Amino acid sequence: MSGLALAGRCWRLGDDVASDALISARHVFEYDPRLLKKHILAEVRPEFAAEAKPGDILVVGKRFAHGSQHSHPFIALKELGVGLIARTLSRPAFRLAIYMGVPLLEVGEDVYDQLGDGDRLRVDFATGAIADETSGARLQADPLPAFLLEIVAAGGGLGHLKQQHAAAA
Amino acid sequence: MGQTLVQKILARASGRGHVDEGEIVWARPDLITVPEVSFPAYVKRLRDIGITRFVGAERIAVVIDHEVPVHSQAGAERNRLTRKLAGEMYVGHLFDGEGITHPLVVERGLVSPGMFVVGADTHTPGIGGAGALAMPFGMEITTPMARGDIWLRVPGTIRVHVSGRLRAGVAARDIVLAAMRQIDDEMASYRVIEYVGDGIAALSVAERMTIAGLSIDTGAEAGIVAADAACVEALRAMGARDPQPLAGDADAAVFAELHIDAATLGPQVSEPPSPTHVRAVGELADVRIDHAYIGSCASGTLAELRAAASLLAGRRVHAGVQLLVIPATRRIYEAAMADGTLAALMRAGAQLAPPTCGPCFGGLAQLDVGEVRISTSTRNDPGRMGSREARIYLASALTVAASAVTGRITDARELLAAAAP
Repeated sequence: MSGLALAGRCWRLGDDVASDALISARHVFEYDPRLLKKHILAEVRPEFAAEAKPGDILVVGKRFAHGSQHSHPFIALKELGVGLIARTLSRPAFRLAIYMGVPLLEVGEDVYDQLGDGDRLRVDFATGAIADETSGARLQADPLPAFLLEIVAAGGGLGHLKQQHAAAA
Repeated sequence: MGQTLVQKILARASGRGHVDEGEIVWARPDLITVPEVSFPAYVKRLRDIGITRFVGAERIAVVIDHEVPVHSQAGAERNRLTRKLAGEMYVGHLFDGEGITHPLVVERGLVSPGMFVVGADTHTPGIGGAGALAMPFGMEITTPMARGDIWLRVPGTIRVHVSGRLRAGVAARDIVLAAMRQIDDEMASYRVIEYVGDGIAALSVAERMTIAGLSIDTGAEAGIVAADAACVEALRAMGARDPQPLAGDADAAVFAELHIDAATLGPQVSEPPSPTHVRAVGELADVRIDHAYIGSCASGTLAELRAAASLLAGRRVHAGVQLLVIPATRRIYEAAMADGTLAALMRAGAQLAPPTCGPCFGGLAQLDVGEVRISTSTRNDPGRMGSREARIYLASALTVAASAVTGRITDARELLAAAAP
């Protein structure tokens, strides 16, 4: 499956990064991905938006993107080409990540604790294999179920619908 | 081991004998509700990717309820487009100004116990008061519209045992606010809150809907009350198709069991900035109010309008307070008109508006800087009803009516104890 193996820098954040801290609610009327990707983490990690490259991985703690049920942070991550490894996501955040087509792993504390900020990671979201090339650690997480991987690989919920529709036609 | 009510409903909806908690399944909703706010936009997004027909369109109910009657040019365009597209897309039901979605679809017999219901609107879980599993999906409702089913992770269950009968002046809302005191975000995440016990059995379907609907604000997936004989009888009278009782198994594994004694419960109030910030009414007795509102999908029922009218009989709304009353559906409006309830409310100084979600999201009767409203609606985030500098308190219709009389947040029992002047 294309787009599900990423290699890049680990951007590590802690627990409780709220949706509004990812992208301020004052940008709620903006939907252009090219604009939104400039706002992401502007107040928490200002260098992220400028320096993150396709293939990088955002590694976050518990309750990521809690609060507002805004699709904006996930539109921005998708536009940046950044994947997501989280301890836990609230239900709206989990669904939004997949609906917007952001590659995602939910991991245990054992995995989260070993991924250092700035490490070079190689992550296969289809299998759950995580290689930390800086520390040499080889880690394993449960991948998303196959049909959620299909949605992510199709670029998200609407992309998946389009694909299925084309296949049925 | 037995199955929870949620497991039973999702096993059937996903065509399986059994589903496990945490498992991801594709489930086929029995009813899909979409308000006019987003329906035209969703149809456009789907048409943009080549999807021009719905799978199971007959199960889709489109409801014009957020801007009724229309009071903007944009709303006029949206409503006209909604009517046109509902026809073009052959949706099963179009309700145009008939009431607020969640109470409306139950009242019109579209809901039976054990159904799986999905909606675009956040407070879709109100329908759980009729024994259905009803969950909100926002923009993702486009998935079941287009393909007839949607994926979800089978939620766990928090079981809340409610015992005893509510005393005079205390209402169903006070039960769910008491539950919010015990349930935090982490506990609620990926779980459904199921209410059981004789304290729930004593409540009407409308009261159960208040509890189920407001449960979403804990961070839970939904609230639900298993359908008993009384619920089945009420649903049958509303025209539901072959309603049957359905409950979870007593020995099913649940994440937590909580207990609420309805008989000793007093009125509760949510203070800003969140419905989960719950205080006893007496703690807020110094809060002066400018506005009072009885309505929304979580209130505006015939029983609540009658209770408010009875409290207001022989009294007047405080000179400094605007009391707005909005029956939740046209049928409730008609019944309250026929039995004199609306006349009694107007005599006491209330303003009336036709059934709509309006004030709940700041679409009608907006608040100015520094103003305070006590309301039976669903959310009290800053800016929810107009100015971010306004404050919104949430409480039962009885508490709101009592506060409207005194001009400050008031325990209805104080007024009930005194004979009407």
